[in-house]
Amino acid sequence: MRERIAKAGPGLLFLLPALILFVVFVVYPIVYNVQASTLRWDGVNPGVFIGLDNYADLFRDPVFHTALKNSALWIPLTIVPQALMGLLLALALNRGVFASTFYRALFFIPAILSPIVVGIVWQRIMDPFNGVLTEVGKATGLDWLGGNFLSDPSTAIFAVIAVNIWMWTGFSMLFYLAGLQLIDTSVLEAAKVDGASWWQTTTRIVFPLLKHTHLSLLLLGIIGSLKTFELVYVLTQGGPNHASEMLPTFAFQEAFQLQSVGYGSAISVVLIVVAVTASLSMVRVFGSGFITGEEKRK
Amino acid sequence: MSATTDASTPEAAASEPPRRMRRKRSDSWLHAALIPIALLWMLPVIMVIGLSLMPANDPSTTFFGMLPESPSLSNYTLVWEQNPILQHLVNSLLITVPSVIIVAMAGSMAAFALARLHVPVKALVFGLLILGLVLPMSGIVVAAFKILQAIGLYNSILGVVLVYSALGMPFAVIILRTGYLAIPDETYEAARMDGASTWAIFWKIYFPLGRPALSVVVIWQVMMSWNDFLLPLVALGDNDLKPLTLVPLAYRGVFLSQPGALFAVLVLISIPVILVFIAVQRYLVNGLAGAVK
Repeated sequence: MRERIAKAGPGLLFLLPALILFVVFVVYPIVYNVQASTLRWDGVNPGVFIGLDNYADLFRDPVFHTALKNSALWIPLTIVPQALMGLLLALALNRGVFASTFYRALFFIPAILSPIVVGIVWQRIMDPFNGVLTEVGKATGLDWLGGNFLSDPSTAIFAVIAVNIWMWTGFSMLFYLAGLQLIDTSVLEAAKVDGASWWQTTTRIVFPLLKHTHLSLLLLGIIGSLKTFELVYVLTQGGPNHASEMLPTFAFQEAFQLQSVGYGSAISVVLIVVAVTASLSMVRVFGSGFITGEEKRK
Repeated sequence: MSATTDASTPEAAASEPPRRMRRKRSDSWLHAALIPIALLWMLPVIMVIGLSLMPANDPSTTFFGMLPESPSLSNYTLVWEQNPILQHLVNSLLITVPSVIIVAMAGSMAAFALARLHVPVKALVFGLLILGLVLPMSGIVVAAFKILQAIGLYNSILGVVLVYSALGMPFAVIILRTGYLAIPDETYEAARMDGASTWAIFWKIYFPLGRPALSVVVIWQVMMSWNDFLLPLVALGDNDLKPLTLVPLAYRGVFLSQPGALFAVLVLISIPVILVFIAVQRYLVNGLAGAVK
């Protein structure tokens, strides 16, 4: 027994600082959320236990349905264009063109800006009075460009999605550049010797070899979509009339603006369950190699 | 870094003229495609800088509403003098720097333990880490607010630092562990044979060798703690504790009549992260390559 403790001692000591922080500020809040979701609670007065009523209400709530529908739109409409454009940029820059480091930095800059900066900037760009799109519309005769995309319920979510694509394409590009570095160039040389065209090499050899990168981006994209809060909060606050609501903005609004902490917690619990289920099923199907860096053992 | 390797040395160029020609022509095609895309991509950035130079007394614009008719630096002097911008800048630093140090240190130690040391219930620790990776900040922000209140860290910068450190930990540990796994086992065994302590092996060998992975972690953590505004929005009540990112929200009314000043603040928020990115970008792709392999 003593020997086992001695053996585990250093490992635990090295792990401890990270673990304590993580348990107090990440694991415990999850437990707290689950507990709060069973209460009718304004966050100030003592809560009343109501069992699963918050969940029952939630599943009937039309705003919840809108938020789910928006997530279902958001996931493919951000991941696919971001990955496609990111891959094309990475393929172009990986050829070692002049100033590729400069291009790389340019395309990555939107991803390192604060969502508050990105949000306010795009609000101005899409401002129907003096925004850039309106001015371009006036100059070119394409009047529809002056539309109030962010406050029209039928376009609000797509406008936010477009901004998200601008923000995160460079991130996909960087991932693909990293993935391309790991491809053994002798394979590509061999293909060239065999007379394969650039297009054939790219689609038949490079694309399949980037499998781990595709999967990482897919997983990060799904998680990122479910997590989306800041951009929506700054651009539309989830409006107009919940048209661009996502689960996180919905939870935040209920908990902090409408003082329904119990209901807000129920939304957060559903969000966590969806995110964990999605990630675990991906790990199940594809192996955990693309997260932990180890090959799937067959 | 591999850029222009074969075209830049005269010998290579002389011995292989046809290849060089072909390469050059395809490069100019690439530039013809890349330059307009890059310009289009940068338009919003150009607009922020342009509008930050738009004086309050003359808000007329030109070039599709992106540049001011009469540019001036008055907004920068204005935000510097009128709003306590320096205080907010210091707050942002007081939040970001400690959280980066905590995540880099505690994350590296945990990653080292998971990569090389004996840890009981390793699988459980991994499960928790992956849970932490997928956890949305907005999902825990209510609970984090209540916990900070309970332990007396509401309205305190330390509380915000601790939450950011905890949230950044899963990503840091997973990335750093991957980096450490790439260091051959023999290194560890050899150092052990020489009688090095576990701490010495970590601090003198693994920590320095893990620098590419660490650079990814640092930029990630800087981005999260510098750019976020959700946690400070709920965890910090006093205006003079708020970081730069909350300035546009905290002084919303003031900026309505001074849009130029608002854009100047946005520029000030962005400069530090861009500088950090430029400083570490050299390592970034290599570090990521280790992480996504």
